[in-house]
Formats: sequence, structure tokens, C-alpha cells
Amino acid sequence: MSGKHGHKPFEGHMHDFEAHIRAVEEDLEYYRAKRFEPRIFYLIRRGVVTFSDLLNARVALKRSNQFFKPRKPQGKNIEARVRYLEEWLDEYVKGIALVSARAVEAMDMVTEDNRKERGDYDDFFKFKKKEHKGTLKERMVNVGRDLKDYQELLEVFVQALIKRGWSTRRELEQHWKQLHEERPWAGGVIVAKAWTDPAFKQALLSTGREALREMGVHQGKVGKLVVVENTDKVHNVVVCTLCSCYPYDILGDTPWWYKHESYRTKIVQNPRACLQAMFQLEVPAGKEVKVYDSTSDVRYFVLPERPSGTEGMSEEELAKLVTVDSLIGAGYALEPSQQKKAMKLGAAPESPRVRPD
Amino acid sequence: MELKFKVGDPVTVASENPTGYPRTPRYIRGKRGVIGLVHGVLENVRDHRGIHKPLYTVRFDLSEVSTCHDQDSIWVDVHEEWLSGLRAEERN
Repeated sequence: MSGKHGHKPFEGHMHDFEAHIRAVEEDLEYYRAKRFEPRIFYLIRRGVVTFSDLLNARVALKRSNQFFKPRKPQGKNIEARVRYLEEWLDEYVKGIALVSARAVEAMDMVTEDNRKERGDYDDFFKFKKKEHKGTLKERMVNVGRDLKDYQELLEVFVQALIKRGWSTRRELEQHWKQLHEERPWAGGVIVAKAWTDPAFKQALLSTGREALREMGVHQGKVGKLVVVENTDKVHNVVVCTLCSCYPYDILGDTPWWYKHESYRTKIVQNPRACLQAMFQLEVPAGKEVKVYDSTSDVRYFVLPERPSGTEGMSEEELAKLVTVDSLIGAGYALEPSQQKKAMKLGAAPESPRVRPD
Repeated sequence: MELKFKVGDPVTVASENPTGYPRTPRYIRGKRGVIGLVHGVLENVRDHRGIHKPLYTVRFDLSEVSTCHDQDSIWVDVHEEWLSGLRAEERN
């Protein structure tokens, strides 16, 4: 099955549709309740848009002036419909990235504002997330309906931003195109280079973002980057117990479980048990587990150990062995045989989606 | 800005929030650790306005912050105003 890394269940069974749908439900509610609707409230509070703007934009909305084009499932079987929901979710998240970039600029917003607005420090402000019940079939129908509703609000918001002159359709269309450009995932590129070039690895571990500039990878600008190396003595894990801090400007979006409360609380209470239960990852007794809890100013990722059986492989081949989970410490980089098997199942790692500011 | 701590210094995290800065996790408040990394003053204009006090990554034994007794460690970023040096008689 295709689909972005974030939809995979903890353990990566590709034909576990229930787990795929759960990932879509979790991510969809996260993005609505933490990334999009609190931002609308922020902008309404400051008069950037008003409720009336949104209502008027909805009334004026026609198929012909719609910004986001409707999608159709490619096939009727369950796999095709799951994929359709996953792709729709990705479009929704990209849409949030699109309007966020504009809103952040227009309002001189910083991330800290958003955290307050969405209740990271005060439950009073928290947007309630929806609970999902019923059979898998019912849940798929429901999540499809939610996607339609949420997408419509996003559409109306885009229309209101244009109408109020915060952005132009042309500007948004250009940015929308950029958001859909495919490039090799920086995480794989960086790690493969570190495995093959000792001088680069040294620079990466000691200077973080500076080293990325030298290799020509987009180096981002969200906080200081610290890369921590896994060795035969140390297994590193990354978490943000307060929200979901992560070097998303370099690596793209996190897997859904990284933002989930169960991971964020359990990994600092009993790291080994958490890694075992959620990811079937058994860290050998001889290794120390170091958990890095990021509080925004420093963003961490893990440099995983190079798998055995990879001698003589090119950087390009090595990059394909690097999973998102392995950069968080929730997994190891794949061995070549595992990667081949995953390719066969259509479950090979893909680039994570873009993540809104 | 002069840095108050260096790598290896034992520190205690304040129990009460000294400035209203919200991003020090509750589970390390009042706990003892050791300075693991020194970052100094970081600008992070996309994240917050103004300049914060110097930042450190503090290493805690897992058993200090949790009921788990594995010989593992939790590393948390903490700003300087939250940290005080341990007095000599309190050091283990």
C-alpha cells in the first residue's frame, strides 16, 4: 500500500487497514484542533478575518472559483479507499501549510502564540478532539465526511483571505505548486552522507545546521539543530513532552504517534517498555537509552547506526534504508533485505509530508 | 552573557516557575540533574519574541524523574533561571 509514512501503524503492518484509518483519524483531528482552528481564532481575535467574512465567502463559493480541487477514489476496494483518505488528509495538511505561511507572515505570528492559542499550557483553551467509534466501514465513512467538512472550512478561509487582500490567488497558487514538488527526503540524504563521509559526520554532530549548508541541503531555521549519534553503547530517542517539537523544517512532518499523548508521556516514564510495547524495539541491556525531551529552542534527531550488509552501497542506495522512525529512535535503519521486502509489499518509506508552521 | 554553569555541573530545577516561561516540563521540577550540553543564548525568532536566558540540556537519571529504575537517562532543555547549583553537602 502506498501512503505517507505518517499513516503507518506503530509496527508497520501494511495490510492492517484499521491501523491506517486510526492514523488518519488521529492526524486529521490533530491538524484540525491544533494547527488550523486555533489559528482561525487567533486571526478572528485580531480582526484579520471575521465570522462574517467566512459566512460571506461560503455564500460566494462556486465550483468555478474553488481553490482546492475535489478528488475521487481510484477504485472501489478497501485498499484504494484507504489510500484515497490518506491522500486527502495529505492535501488537507498541505492546505493548512499554505494558509499558515500567509497568516504567519501577515500577522507576525510566532509559534509561541499558536501554542497558547491551542491550549498547550492551559486546558481551558484546548479544542476538543472527536472520538471515533463504530466498525471500520463506519469509521471510514465518518472520516471521509469529516475530511469534506474540514476541507470546506479551509476553502472558505482561503477565499476570505483573498477577499480581504491578505493574499492573492496567484500567490497562493504558486505556493500550492511548490508544496507539491517532490524531492528526495533530506533525512535519508543527510544520514547516508554521514555514514559514508566521516568529515561530514563530524561536522554534523558538532555544528548541526552549519554542516547542512555545506552539503547544500535545505537547512531550515527552526531553532538549533542537535544530531545525536547511536552507537553500540547508546540508543537515543527524541520526544517533545509539551507539544510536538521536531526539526520539521528539515525532515518534514512527524509520524502521527510522535504527537500522540501516549508516546509523549510513556517514553519518559519507562523508555524501554515504551519502545518495546509501541514499536517492538528491544534495546540491548548493554546500551544506555538516552531520551531527549525537546522544548523548542533545540530540535533533535538521531543518527542511526549503519546497518550490516551495506558495505559498498552508494549514498543513494543507503538513503533508502533510512526510515523516519529511525531518526526518532523508535526504530533502526533497515537492512537491505528488509528494505527489499518492504518494496515488494509497496510499504517502502516515502518522504514525509510538509508540516505547517 | 556570562554562563553560570558548565558541562558536568550538578544542578537542581526550580519547583515553582520563576518567570512564567511555560516550557519547562513538570516532571523535572524540583529534580536534580547534571549539565549535559551548554547552548548559551539562542535566538529563535520564529518561535518566540525577545531573548531568553542561556539554555542548557540537563541530564537526569531516569530514576530521578520516574519510578522506573533502568540505568537510562532523560535529557531536557532548561533555561538558566530555572537552575540552581547544588550545595556541596547535597552532592552525592
